[in-house]
Amino acid sequence: MIRSIRVTDSQLAHGRVIRRHLDGRLTVEDGTKRMTGYPLNPGLLDRCLGFSMRRVVAIAATIVGIGLAGQASADNSLLNVSYDPTRELYRAVNAAFAAKWEADGHPAPSIETSHGGSGAQARSVIDGLKAQVVTLALASDIDQIAAKGLLPEDWQSRLPHNSSPYTSTIVFLVREGNPKGIQDWGDLVKEGVEVITPNPKTSGGARWNYLAAWAWAQKNGQDPKEFVTELFKHVPVLDSGARGSTTTFTQREIGDVLLAWENEAYLALNELGEDRFDIVVPSVSILAEPPVAIVDKNIVDDEQKQLADAYLNFLYSPEGQALAFKHYYRAWDESAADPADVARFPKLDLVTIADFGGWKQAQPEHFGDGGTFDQIYSGK
Amino acid sequence: MALALRLQKSPMPGFGLGMGITLAMLSLVVILPVVALLARGVSYGPEAVWATINTPRVWAALYLSFRLAFLAALFNLVFGSLLAWVLARYDFPGRRLIDAFVDLPFALPTAVAGIALTALYAPNGTFGSIAKSLDGKIAYTQWGILIALIFVGLPFVTRTVQPVIAEIEQEVEEASATLGAGRFYTMRRVILPMLLPAALTGFALSLARAVGEYGSVIFIAGNLPMKTEIAPLLIVIKLEEFDYGGAAAIGIAMLVISFSMLLVINLIQIWSRRRIGHV
Repeated sequence: MIRSIRVTDSQLAHGRVIRRHLDGRLTVEDGTKRMTGYPLNPGLLDRCLGFSMRRVVAIAATIVGIGLAGQASADNSLLNVSYDPTRELYRAVNAAFAAKWEADGHPAPSIETSHGGSGAQARSVIDGLKAQVVTLALASDIDQIAAKGLLPEDWQSRLPHNSSPYTSTIVFLVREGNPKGIQDWGDLVKEGVEVITPNPKTSGGARWNYLAAWAWAQKNGQDPKEFVTELFKHVPVLDSGARGSTTTFTQREIGDVLLAWENEAYLALNELGEDRFDIVVPSVSILAEPPVAIVDKNIVDDEQKQLADAYLNFLYSPEGQALAFKHYYRAWDESAADPADVARFPKLDLVTIADFGGWKQAQPEHFGDGGTFDQIYSGK
Repeated sequence: MALALRLQKSPMPGFGLGMGITLAMLSLVVILPVVALLARGVSYGPEAVWATINTPRVWAALYLSFRLAFLAALFNLVFGSLLAWVLARYDFPGRRLIDAFVDLPFALPTAVAGIALTALYAPNGTFGSIAKSLDGKIAYTQWGILIALIFVGLPFVTRTVQPVIAEIEQEVEEASATLGAGRFYTMRRVILPMLLPAALTGFALSLARAVGEYGSVIFIAGNLPMKTEIAPLLIVIKLEEFDYGGAAAIGIAMLVISFSMLLVINLIQIWSRRRIGHV
């Protein structure tokens, strides 16, 4: 490579680069002699090499430091692997729990929470993510982790209420003033109504939507399979996750009604303006139980076990329950909650997953390969 | 791809070290994952793989993915080459800026691209509202997928063709003209044959990229089974069902089809190189 360098203030040299110095200088050879100086037009490589050694060391140390920090797994740390709509809830819970734990005379815990699609999160744990606590959308996702031997098969009986400290249900979010007059599930299959729901194959929330529709049809003397088939003919977009569907409905203004988690619907109302959407509560819905569990195999010692136990029990404490109410989840213990937070939930007829024979039966029957959902699109 | 090993010892030093690093990198980054995929398929059983692939929904998704990827690559072949020609041959204010813009699809996270395109082409977006007034729909249809695929594949053709155009000496065209060839004839018989191998490489890269594209398409596609469901989404769906074997089966199907397409493109390249001697 031929380069020009400045040897002294007045002398330039031109020749083949034979050596690059760390301070950015070059040594060139012009056929007869060698000269060293700074390049006239420093290239990218020269500029990088032009960093002082101290800076290089500092950058390297930072990178190594970041790498090591990621490795830190002390006994007073917890990783909670959760699903998408719980971001706001666990941000509040982690802060409240850490304060309480410290006040009880323990060292300050470091609690991290990871969010994503429930199924994908379960897969990460199965594939080796060292989560001590999982808080997912569906019991069947935790069942999959249990099937790999990371926690006992009977995990769901270890905590009260099927290990679900808070619950939610499925409601309709419609446009302001409810222009299509949607009151119940039956209205969704009316001519010209477009329904937004995520894909039950990729979204835990969408499975609850699907089962709630199924339950309504059963209770109202319709063939449930025909009803959901008709329902999905009114779906113009199948997003892969609950947040994606909310965006499609609220930002892209596609569709007349969004089937959503109750907490997600309230969040949309709060964040995007109450004057743009209304919540419609159908006559029948499903009790969605997002369960929590300790992943026994990922606990390193007794101290961490104690912390994980305390963390999950905190969710059941009056304080934790109040936080759940505040974030639009239906919880069990109203004693510490703001009465206004509790009062906003209308009573409705809720079926449970047990009515479908539990997830162990419902999952393969409806959402497995060739299940009732697949049959909608394969035309069988 | 043929691995041509020279029997004669090259006078260039460093072959042993260079080749060692190449093979190690290639194995770690490319060959191992592909072998892992094939191994998963083998452990799943050839019949099970075929049973997974041979369903109307998988065929529909594969057909959609490869058809739209092909169309997008074809579009990029024509307009990417044109863009390269303009950038390499003409000097105009803002040329460097446009040159830099070409690389944006490389640099932008695909999810960002997908969301931006969806915002533009959704019925309430800038272009989508125009389409809506004409009773058309772009986002959440196959047109939306096509636009996303064109977006992610455009730089490949431009960046492979541009240096070749810059290399072609003006004298070649002048020689052609002095020998009596018209402009169109020169273009067809002199310029195009020289560009063809590079353009085909760009086409192949653009095609390969579009076939596997997930991040941007997922936002604009609508994802309706049998209509706008791409093959990579089916793989994700299989993974959500914890059906690793089924996911590998669709992955293998895509691998086989992609490989055959790239093979055909390589053969055309060899043929066109032979025809014009070298380049």
